[in-house]
Amino acid sequence: MGSPAALEVRDLSACYGNREILRRINIRIERGEIFGLFGQNGAGKTTLIRAICGRLKPRAGTIAIGGQAIRAGVSRQIGLVPQEIALYPHLTILENLQVFGRLSGLSAAATKDAIGEVIKHTALTDRLRERVEVLSGGWKRRVNIAASILHRPALLILDEPMVGVDIEARITLQNVILKLRDSGVGILLITHDLQQAETLCTQVGFLHKGVIGPQGAPRALLDLAFDGQHEIIIETQLPVSATDEAVLRGRGFSAVEGGQCWSVISNKPLHEITEHLEQSGMATKEIRFRKPGLDSLFLRLADQPGTGFEGPRP
Amino acid sequence: MILAMLRVMTLGLLRDRGALVLAFVLPPAIFVIFASIFSATTSDKLDLKVAVAQLSSTQASQRLEKALRQERTFEVIGPVRSNRAEVESLVKQGAADVGLVIRAEIDDTGAAPFEVLVEPSKLMAGSIVSGRVQELVARQLPDLLLSRTAITFQSVVGTFTPEQSARLAAAIEAGARVSEPPAATNAPGLVATASVGSSDSSGATVTYYAGAVAILFLLFASLQSAATLIEERNSGIIDRIAVGPGGSAVVVLGKLLFLTIQGVIQVGLIFIVAQLVYEVDVTRRLDLWLLITVAAALGASGLALAVATACTTKQQAQTVSTFVVLICSAVGGSMVPRFMMPEFLQSIGRFTPNTWAIEAYYGVFWRHETLSDVIPEIVSLVAMAVVGTASALIVSRRRLRF
Repeated sequence: MGSPAALEVRDLSACYGNREILRRINIRIERGEIFGLFGQNGAGKTTLIRAICGRLKPRAGTIAIGGQAIRAGVSRQIGLVPQEIALYPHLTILENLQVFGRLSGLSAAATKDAIGEVIKHTALTDRLRERVEVLSGGWKRRVNIAASILHRPALLILDEPMVGVDIEARITLQNVILKLRDSGVGILLITHDLQQAETLCTQVGFLHKGVIGPQGAPRALLDLAFDGQHEIIIETQLPVSATDEAVLRGRGFSAVEGGQCWSVISNKPLHEITEHLEQSGMATKEIRFRKPGLDSLFLRLADQPGTGFEGPRP
Repeated sequence: MILAMLRVMTLGLLRDRGALVLAFVLPPAIFVIFASIFSATTSDKLDLKVAVAQLSSTQASQRLEKALRQERTFEVIGPVRSNRAEVESLVKQGAADVGLVIRAEIDDTGAAPFEVLVEPSKLMAGSIVSGRVQELVARQLPDLLLSRTAITFQSVVGTFTPEQSARLAAAIEAGARVSEPPAATNAPGLVATASVGSSDSSGATVTYYAGAVAILFLLFASLQSAATLIEERNSGIIDRIAVGPGGSAVVVLGKLLFLTIQGVIQVGLIFIVAQLVYEVDVTRRLDLWLLITVAAALGASGLALAVATACTTKQQAQTVSTFVVLICSAVGGSMVPRFMMPEFLQSIGRFTPNTWAIEAYYGVFWRHETLSDVIPEIVSLVAMAVVGTASALIVSRRRLRF
């Protein structure tokens, strides 16, 4: 028998007062796996995190972390990286790590050892004596993660870990997350960046109005949803006229960004569509062709009934 | 774990010059200013508590007691005592602002019939009572005053015969000629004033304001520092800490420890100045000073943490803090001694940490009270710490749910 799952949520329901926020949620994250959880604002992601952290008592269902049901003390197996930079800005990187090591229950000696290991994972060695307030966004994000893994948690919850960082820092952070995955930590990644999630996650799940939809490996879910289809994205030079809009909608396009970007998922050959648009005289700036991503899948799941977001029947 | 939180707070303070000045430079400076101003304070209208003793009961003294009880400027507290020592004790304990001893019949010219007993820190209260008693006798008991005047007069001129009339004229003439008044005018006045305890009035005032400024800055600094809890909540630090083994309680208890230590150092600096510059003998009663100071610092910290956890933004906390500090300090006697306040404000003031701390410090360093005398004040301060901290723990835990 293998090691227990980093996180196992079974039939979890949670309420605030009489308002049901989560309905029979089931999630399983193995060690060494990154589970991407997506959902619009208000879908119930924050409530789910609170329940997993033991801060909100579920109305029904169970949560186990590293094989142990949530109760006092088990939360020691969780590392939480909040969306904000949850660090003391007036302290140096080293001082922050020392403080959070002690606050996570480690002895002074164990904290010292853990810091030595963590700074290698997160590439923080060069600037340990600098105060957090002078660091760039990318460095702060790395320290933010480092402060949560000192006690070697079974489960690491990353809540939007790459908000506001540049591309270079993003790549560094992605590498940090992948290293953590390889070290055997189970990671719950909450993000709105579905392209990033597609790169990082081994499993994904979609949360919509308190109900979790289909789960699985990103590629498998995409193949299932868009078998043989491709996505065509057209960017126009100006907002389209009413005539052009009618043409686009007639070919199955829907507006993506402010009326100048339109997309369609189709199994028709690309040339058929573009020829038609050229004939209509539409001034296009760019035409892109790609395999549909998780963002397309999420929109389809959220918009269309009968795709797994109906929740369990009472 | 709590020590880790202590370290965070200490480093935060040491690296914030503004907070350092606020915490450790401003308090002694303000204390010196207050002490200088109020050492020589005077006032003319007070709502005073007066303890009265009547050494012999006569018809005249009973009329006088009735008149005293009807007086609006001051309140006669409790029954009229029969000995001076009892009234003196009440004044020393602070239960009465002024003592009034009716020593003899008003027509006895051998001694002043009234003696006002007053603490050096309340000399102005003594002067006011003295003046009011003289006015009261003149206004409401004129017959007694007249008989006293007649006796005095007769001691100079004898009975009103033609011969005595001549002697009166001679005496008036002699009085006009010599600078020294006639012997009879050297008779004691209506009211004599005696100081209770030490006669050093500026020392009493300085001792009072050492405690008053100490509790003022304890509240001020604690409420300011505790507001960092709101920043920690907004930045997700408490979320991160809450998943650890100590939960959010570590944050609250770590801050309580820091604020208490900061408070003890703050008050220590004030009393060092009091000892070095104003000769308040702190070292002789260091044990009681420490006990009161720890209790006061704990109380202020508990209150500050309760406010910080209850507020949702730092701005809100600052507003509430300013309000709490100003109201407690004004009503509790940190700005103006409570005996100068109207009765209803004095009653409200009894429920402020300022009053508890001031009474405890003043009791120990001026009235030379013992531990048992200041236990009620210490218990009140510690109770405030317990209630405030418990409230902060509960509210911070509840906040994590939403």
